[in-house]
Amino acid sequence: MGLLKLKLRNSLDEIDRLFENIQSFGEAHGLNRKQAFQLNLVIEELFTNIVSYAYRDHDEHWILVTISCGDGRLTVRIEDDGIPFNPAAARKPDLKGPVEKRKIGGLGIHLCKELMNNMQYRRENNRNILTLTKTLPADA
Amino acid sequence: MEIFEKRENGITIFSLNGRLDSNTSPEFDEKITKAIESGARFIVVDCQNLDYITSAGLRILNKTAKKLKQLNGKIVLCSMEDYVKEVFEISGFDTFLPIVPDLETALEQIKK
Repeated sequence: MGLLKLKLRNSLDEIDRLFENIQSFGEAHGLNRKQAFQLNLVIEELFTNIVSYAYRDHDEHWILVTISCGDGRLTVRIEDDGIPFNPAAARKPDLKGPVEKRKIGGLGIHLCKELMNNMQYRRENNRNILTLTKTLPADA
Repeated sequence: MEIFEKRENGITIFSLNGRLDSNTSPEFDEKITKAIESGARFIVVDCQNLDYITSAGLRILNKTAKKLKQLNGKIVLCSMEDYVKEVFEISGFDTFLPIVPDLETALEQIKK
Protein backbone atom coordinates (compact mmCIF):
# COMPACT_ATOMS: atom_id res chain seq x y z
CA MET A 1 0.00 0.00 0.00
CA GLY A 2 1.49 3.33 -1.05
CA LEU A 3 0.53 6.67 0.37
CA LEU A 4 1.53 10.21 -0.54
CA LYS A 5 0.24 13.28 1.26
CA LEU A 6 0.98 16.73 -0.11
CA LYS A 7 0.13 20.11 1.27
CA LEU A 8 0.30 22.66 -1.54
CA ARG A 9 -0.05 26.42 -1.51
CA ASN A 10 -2.65 27.94 -3.85
CA SER A 11 -0.01 28.90 -6.40
CA LEU A 12 0.89 27.52 -9.81
CA ASP A 13 4.50 27.58 -8.60
CA GLU A 14 3.65 24.38 -6.77
CA ILE A 15 3.17 22.45 -10.03
CA ASP A 16 6.83 21.43 -10.29
CA ARG A 17 6.84 20.09 -6.73
CA LEU A 18 3.59 18.27 -7.45
CA PHE A 19 5.12 16.70 -10.57
CA GLU A 20 8.33 15.60 -8.79
CA ASN A 21 6.39 14.01 -5.95
CA ILE A 22 4.03 12.15 -8.28
CA GLN A 23 6.96 10.89 -10.36
CA SER A 24 8.71 9.51 -7.26
CA PHE A 25 5.46 7.99 -6.01
CA GLY A 26 4.89 6.35 -9.40
CA GLU A 27 8.41 4.92 -9.49
CA ALA A 28 8.21 3.64 -5.91
CA HIS A 29 4.90 1.89 -6.54
CA GLY A 30 5.44 0.45 -9.99
CA LEU A 31 3.23 2.75 -12.03
CA ASN A 32 4.20 2.70 -15.69
CA ARG A 33 4.84 5.92 -17.66
CA LYS A 34 1.30 6.13 -18.94
CA GLN A 35 -0.22 5.67 -15.49
CA ALA A 36 2.13 8.22 -13.93
CA PHE A 37 1.37 10.65 -16.76
CA GLN A 38 -2.38 10.29 -16.32
CA LEU A 39 -2.17 10.59 -12.54
CA ASN A 40 -0.12 13.76 -12.88
CA LEU A 41 -2.49 15.19 -15.49
CA VAL A 42 -5.62 14.55 -13.43
CA ILE A 43 -4.21 16.11 -10.26
CA GLU A 44 -2.69 19.07 -12.07
CA GLU A 45 -5.95 19.89 -13.89
CA LEU A 46 -7.92 19.89 -10.65
CA PHE A 47 -5.20 21.73 -8.73
CA THR A 48 -4.95 24.43 -11.43
CA ASN A 49 -8.75 24.86 -11.36
CA ILE A 50 -8.71 25.35 -7.59
CA VAL A 51 -5.82 27.84 -7.73
CA SER A 52 -7.48 29.77 -10.58
CA TYR A 53 -11.13 29.82 -9.51
CA ALA A 54 -11.69 28.72 -5.91
CA TYR A 55 -10.53 31.81 -4.05
CA ARG A 56 -11.96 35.30 -4.09
CA ASP A 57 -9.33 36.72 -1.76
CA HIS A 58 -5.59 37.00 -2.28
CA ASP A 59 -4.67 35.13 0.86
CA GLU A 60 -2.61 32.02 1.11
CA HIS A 61 -4.60 28.78 1.23
CA TRP A 62 -3.59 25.16 1.48
CA ILE A 63 -4.74 22.44 -0.87
CA LEU A 64 -4.38 18.91 0.43
CA VAL A 65 -3.67 16.12 -2.05
CA THR A 66 -3.59 12.50 -0.96
CA ILE A 67 -2.70 9.68 -3.33
CA SER A 68 -2.91 6.06 -2.34
CA CYS A 69 -2.49 2.84 -4.23
CA GLY A 70 -2.96 -0.78 -3.33
CA ASP A 71 -5.12 -3.80 -4.19
CA GLY A 72 -5.10 -2.79 -7.83
CA ARG A 73 -6.65 0.58 -7.10
CA LEU A 74 -5.43 4.13 -7.26
CA THR A 75 -7.24 6.74 -5.14
CA VAL A 76 -6.78 10.50 -5.24
CA ARG A 77 -8.32 12.84 -2.70
CA ILE A 78 -8.18 16.60 -3.10
CA GLU A 79 -9.36 18.93 -0.39
CA ASP A 80 -9.62 22.73 -0.49
CA ASP A 81 -11.30 25.54 1.45
CA GLY A 82 -12.43 27.47 -1.63
CA ILE A 83 -15.94 28.37 -2.79
CA PRO A 84 -18.23 25.35 -3.25
CA PHE A 85 -17.62 23.67 -6.60
CA ASN A 86 -18.62 20.21 -7.69
CA PRO A 87 -16.59 19.09 -10.72
CA ALA A 88 -18.48 15.79 -10.82
CA ALA A 89 -21.62 17.73 -11.83
CA ALA A 90 -19.86 19.82 -14.50
CA ARG A 91 -21.31 19.62 -18.00
CA LYS A 92 -19.47 17.76 -20.72
CA PRO A 93 -17.86 20.16 -23.19
CA ASP A 94 -18.56 20.11 -26.93
CA LEU A 95 -16.18 17.53 -28.39
CA LYS A 96 -17.43 17.36 -31.96
CA GLY A 97 -18.12 20.80 -33.41
CA PRO A 98 -15.88 22.65 -35.87
CA VAL A 99 -12.73 24.29 -34.53
CA GLU A 100 -14.33 27.77 -34.55
CA LYS A 101 -16.89 26.67 -31.99
CA ARG A 102 -14.65 24.70 -29.66
CA LYS A 103 -14.12 26.07 -26.21
CA ILE A 104 -11.45 24.99 -23.80
CA GLY A 105 -13.55 25.51 -20.65
CA GLY A 106 -14.48 22.25 -18.98
CA LEU A 107 -11.93 20.21 -20.87
CA GLY A 108 -9.70 19.66 -17.84
CA ILE A 109 -12.53 18.18 -15.78
CA HIS A 110 -13.67 16.10 -18.74
CA LEU A 111 -10.15 14.63 -19.01
CA CYS A 112 -10.17 13.78 -15.29
CA LYS A 113 -13.49 11.97 -15.60
CA GLU A 114 -12.34 10.00 -18.63
CA LEU A 115 -8.94 9.06 -17.24
CA MET A 116 -10.27 7.95 -13.86
CA ASN A 117 -13.10 5.45 -13.26
CA ASN A 118 -14.98 7.39 -10.63
CA MET A 119 -15.28 10.92 -9.26
CA GLN A 120 -17.15 11.77 -6.06
CA TYR A 121 -17.68 15.16 -4.48
CA ARG A 122 -18.78 16.27 -1.08
CA ARG A 123 -18.86 19.57 0.79
CA GLU A 124 -17.93 19.20 4.42
CA ASN A 125 -17.08 21.86 7.05
CA ASN A 126 -16.85 24.52 4.32
CA ARG A 127 -14.39 22.41 2.37
CA ASN A 128 -14.57 20.78 -1.06
CA ILE A 129 -13.54 17.15 -0.93
CA LEU A 130 -13.11 15.34 -4.21
CA THR A 131 -12.28 11.65 -4.38
CA LEU A 132 -11.26 9.92 -7.59
CA THR A 133 -10.52 6.27 -8.11
CA LYS A 134 -9.07 4.18 -10.88
CA THR A 135 -8.67 0.46 -11.21
CA LEU A 136 -5.15 -0.52 -12.20
CA PRO A 137 -4.45 -3.49 -14.43
CA ALA A 138 -3.04 -6.53 -12.62
CA ASP A 139 0.54 -6.02 -13.82
CA ALA A 140 0.89 -2.57 -12.20
CA MET B 1 10.45 22.95 -21.39
CA GLU B 2 12.52 23.73 -24.45
CA ILE B 3 10.97 25.05 -27.63
CA PHE B 4 12.96 24.87 -30.86
CA GLU B 5 11.76 26.75 -33.92
CA LYS B 6 12.95 26.54 -37.51
CA ARG B 7 11.71 27.40 -40.97
CA GLU B 8 12.01 25.09 -43.92
CA ASN B 9 10.50 25.74 -47.37
CA GLY B 10 7.81 28.04 -45.97
CA ILE B 11 6.94 25.65 -43.15
CA THR B 12 7.56 26.59 -39.52
CA ILE B 13 8.51 23.62 -37.35
CA PHE B 14 8.23 23.80 -33.57
CA SER B 15 9.86 20.97 -31.61
CA LEU B 16 8.69 20.68 -28.03
CA ASN B 17 10.92 19.14 -25.44
CA GLY B 18 9.51 18.52 -21.95
CA ARG B 19 6.24 19.44 -20.32
CA LEU B 20 3.54 21.66 -21.80
CA ASP B 21 1.55 22.64 -18.70
CA SER B 22 0.04 25.75 -17.08
CA ASN B 23 3.49 27.14 -16.36
CA THR B 24 5.15 26.50 -19.72
CA SER B 25 2.21 27.10 -22.08
CA PRO B 26 2.48 30.93 -22.04
CA GLU B 27 5.97 30.73 -23.56
CA PHE B 28 4.78 28.45 -26.35
CA ASP B 29 1.76 30.71 -26.89
CA GLU B 30 4.04 33.71 -27.24
CA LYS B 31 6.39 32.00 -29.71
CA ILE B 32 3.66 30.58 -31.92
CA THR B 33 1.74 33.90 -31.90
CA LYS B 34 4.89 35.76 -32.89
CA ALA B 35 5.57 33.30 -35.73
CA ILE B 36 2.04 33.80 -37.12
CA GLU B 37 2.39 37.57 -36.83
CA SER B 38 5.59 37.36 -38.85
CA GLY B 39 3.80 35.47 -41.58
CA ALA B 40 3.93 31.77 -40.67
CA ARG B 41 0.88 30.01 -42.11
CA PHE B 42 1.97 26.38 -42.21
CA ILE B 43 3.02 25.10 -38.80
CA VAL B 44 4.22 21.64 -37.81
CA VAL B 45 4.51 20.81 -34.12
CA ASP B 46 6.94 17.95 -33.55
CA CYS B 47 5.95 16.21 -30.30
CA GLN B 48 8.63 13.51 -30.27
CA ASN B 49 10.10 14.80 -27.01
CA LEU B 50 6.86 16.09 -25.52
CA ASP B 51 6.48 14.14 -22.27
CA TYR B 52 3.39 15.77 -20.93
CA ILE B 53 0.47 18.01 -21.87
CA THR B 54 -2.48 19.45 -19.95
CA SER B 55 -5.55 21.40 -21.06
CA ALA B 56 -3.38 24.55 -20.83
CA GLY B 57 -1.35 23.20 -23.75
CA LEU B 58 -4.49 22.16 -25.63
CA ARG B 59 -5.76 25.73 -25.24
CA ILE B 60 -2.79 27.09 -27.22
CA LEU B 61 -3.22 24.53 -30.01
CA ASN B 62 -6.96 25.23 -30.20
CA LYS B 63 -6.31 28.97 -30.44
CA THR B 64 -3.59 28.45 -33.08
CA ALA B 65 -5.77 26.13 -35.19
CA LYS B 66 -8.59 28.72 -35.15
CA LYS B 67 -6.27 31.53 -36.13
CA LEU B 68 -4.61 29.58 -38.94
CA LYS B 69 -7.97 28.51 -40.35
CA GLN B 70 -8.99 32.17 -40.66
CA LEU B 71 -5.70 32.89 -42.43
CA ASN B 72 -6.00 29.90 -44.78
CA GLY B 73 -3.09 28.26 -43.05
CA LYS B 74 -2.73 24.86 -41.46
CA ILE B 75 -1.28 23.09 -38.45
CA VAL B 76 -0.17 19.46 -38.27
CA LEU B 77 1.15 17.62 -35.20
CA CYS B 78 3.50 14.65 -35.37
CA SER B 79 5.50 11.97 -33.53
CA MET B 80 3.34 11.81 -30.43
CA GLU B 81 3.54 9.26 -27.61
CA ASP B 82 0.38 7.11 -27.50
CA TYR B 83 -0.63 8.38 -24.09
CA VAL B 84 -0.22 12.01 -25.19
CA LYS B 85 -2.29 11.30 -28.30
CA GLU B 86 -5.01 9.82 -26.12
CA VAL B 87 -5.43 13.24 -24.43
CA PHE B 88 -6.14 14.80 -27.84
CA GLU B 89 -8.61 12.03 -28.65
CA ILE B 90 -10.49 12.28 -25.33
CA SER B 91 -10.70 16.06 -25.87
CA GLY B 92 -12.03 15.58 -29.39
CA PHE B 93 -9.11 17.59 -30.74
CA ASP B 94 -8.10 14.89 -33.21
CA THR B 95 -11.17 15.87 -35.27
CA PHE B 96 -9.66 19.24 -36.24
CA LEU B 97 -5.95 18.75 -35.56
CA PRO B 98 -4.23 16.29 -37.89
CA ILE B 99 -1.86 14.04 -35.91
CA VAL B 100 0.54 12.01 -38.05
CA PRO B 101 3.16 9.43 -37.07
CA ASP B 102 6.37 11.24 -38.11
CA LEU B 103 7.88 14.53 -39.23
CA GLU B 104 8.28 13.41 -42.84
CA THR B 105 4.55 12.68 -43.12
CA ALA B 106 3.75 15.99 -41.42
CA LEU B 107 5.77 17.93 -43.97
CA GLU B 108 3.93 16.14 -46.80
CA GLN B 109 0.49 16.61 -45.21
CA ILE B 110 0.83 20.27 -44.43
CA LYS B 111 0.86 21.44 -48.04
CA LYS B 112 -2.05 19.25 -49.12
